Amino acid sequence: MFKESMSKGSVLKPNVFMKGVLIVALAGLGGVRAVGGSSISAAEAPSAQGGWQAEFDDVCSKTQDAMSLSAEELTVLIQRCDSLAPEIEKLDATRKTVFMGRLKRCRGLYAYVLDSKKNEKK
Amino acid sequence: MRKAILIALTVTLILCAQGLPQTGTKKRRPLPYEYGRVIINNSSEQADMPPVVFEHWIHRSKFTCRVCHVDIGFVMKAGATGITATANAQGFYCGTCHNGAMLVAGKTVFASCPKPEAPGTPSQPGLTVRRSVAEAKRCARCHSLGQDVASDYDFFKFSEPLPKARFGNGIDWEKAEEFGVIKPASFLDGVSTLRKSMPVQKDFTLAPKVKGMPDIIFSHKKHTVWNGCEVCHPEIFAGKKGDTRYTMVDISQGKFCGACHTSVAFPLTECQRCHSQPVQP
Amino acid sequence: MLMCSIQKRMRRSERWLFPLVLACAVFCLVNASSAQMSIPGPPPQDPADYGKVILDTHSSTGPGGVVFDHWLHRSKFTCRLCHVDIGFAMRANATGIRAGTNRQGFHCGACHNGKRTIDAKAVFASCSSDGTTDKQCARCHSLGKRGVRQYEYKAYTAKFPKGAYGIDWMATESAGQIKLTDFLEGVSEKESAMKNKRDLSITSRDSWVQPITFSHEKHSLWGGCELCHPEIFPPARAERPPYSMFANINGRFCGACHGKVAFPLNNCSGCHPSGPDWEEH
Repeated sequence: MFKESMSKGSVLKPNVFMKGVLIVALAGLGGVRAVGGSSISAAEAPSAQGGWQAEFDDVCSKTQDAMSLSAEELTVLIQRCDSLAPEIEKLDATRKTVFMGRLKRCRGLYAYVLDSKKNEKK
Repeated sequence: MRKAILIALTVTLILCAQGLPQTGTKKRRPLPYEYGRVIINNSSEQADMPPVVFEHWIHRSKFTCRVCHVDIGFVMKAGATGITATANAQGFYCGTCHNGAMLVAGKTVFASCPKPEAPGTPSQPGLTVRRSVAEAKRCARCHSLGQDVASDYDFFKFSEPLPKARFGNGIDWEKAEEFGVIKPASFLDGVSTLRKSMPVQKDFTLAPKVKGMPDIIFSHKKHTVWNGCEVCHPEIFAGKKGDTRYTMVDISQGKFCGACHTSVAFPLTECQRCHSQPVQP
Repeated sequence: MLMCSIQKRMRRSERWLFPLVLACAVFCLVNASSAQMSIPGPPPQDPADYGKVILDTHSSTGPGGVVFDHWLHRSKFTCRLCHVDIGFAMRANATGIRAGTNRQGFHCGACHNGKRTIDAKAVFASCSSDGTTDKQCARCHSLGKRGVRQYEYKAYTAKFPKGAYGIDWMATESAGQIKLTDFLEGVSEKESAMKNKRDLSITSRDSWVQPITFSHEKHSLWGGCELCHPEIFPPARAERPPYSMFANINGRFCGACHGKVAFPLNNCSGCHPSGPDWEEH
């Protein structure tokens, strides 16, 4: 339900194959690409309960830089947002509403910038 | 018979339509201290409290739009957020700052709604909750619709040192921030995600459809100072630049630019603030 | 009994029409007294009464209803100053003027504060709380009272050029007999003037109505832009305006001013250049 409402025409398949392809592509670009000191990796995921907050803070802290990120980096960020959604769904009602709203805006912004980058190329 | 009834129906419907809200009339201009006022009544009346009167002018002098509308998560429509006393007591929404502990400009922000009664206690609407005098006074600071409540902040004293504008609050908020008269905070510790400062965005021109109206120079820089990216994208402006088609009619109905520039930011009557370029022949 | 017999004669499929018409009729009756649904009559016989606004929200208590004469104020100020800068609505009792707001310097109190000078004379304070006499209050709160007003219509407007329906204000202004103030210190803010003063040709859906040439120049002299746009006239193609004479008569669009304060709609030649064109097209 969350994914249906989030997607704007693009089909999401956050399966293992896609993650594998992305990791290879990123590795092929020459290793970790530093953006202000923090690295973006598809392998990074909330490891423990409560770890979702740190992940959220990390993923959504890059909105101001969105215009300077590449399409691949934006795609990874969107995937990380999608991975966070189930964690946030488990929270209590108010926390869930607040953080789902914030995640929606954060993910929406990355998708928006990614779309505009794709359109520019055309 | 059928024809007679249909004619009667048409006539009465036409007359009924006169009673509905109408276009083509000039409404009153909200007074400077009224502009940006939001009446919030999610559950106040159910809890036997007057609805909340929220004044934007106090808050926007201290915080950017982004802090409340993105980081805290208030929706930009009265009643749509679903604020409850429980949520406030838990430290969400108003309770993010109004918790009796947060310091803003050296002053402790008064606590909002106290913790609601313990689970298991029946809570019925219409049942008057017994509060102490001090608590009732604190509640009335926000739950003040229709009540004669003296505010801690006097609008006239507050607005006196600020640069003036024609409409809205009568305050040029843009200049006030630019000249450093106000310093709205863009980050709330423990709430906002720490972001890097934004690189300067380009301005661009919007051409109006009506011939003769001056072009609009849209300044991303001026908007991102207050909003960051997420306030507008993609909720308000979703398409690629040039793809989204809208008119002043849409804007005056609260869509697109009108999401802010009908109720809180400078209103649409300040044509020259946007339509600033001379007419091109 | 009557309803039953009518319904018996109706076909089964039409029986829902009758209760619907009845509900609409009840709705109409309930709303019939509201200003929104009243159909305005012709202009008053005495030109001194044209443009008179009765402000009377609680005449049973307090000093009585206020009588506001437009002719006095429009000989000194543009429409824009009061209806845009100060923010009066263009419908009686819609502004929410109170003694409190007047004392704070809003509404009438923007000028009527005992300090502002117009024509080198201090304007008397409205709703003053310093124990003014009933005579002072009655200068405005004059509904139903005689001999309390300071200025008299005939004497004041004796030299103004007259038209078929009272004073020709455009001619009076062109002749230099009145000099309109468009700026109030402390209320108005200086903004650069908009240069769009295009004349528009407004065509009717009816072929026998000749096109009207609307002069932006004449209207913006008194109104500026914000008086009409976007509230009264949202953007629309002038070639096919979304309003009709019915809407005008009802006080909307052109009728927001023309019918109440500006020359009335009976003055057809004020807008329509010549008579109806009955010839076949």
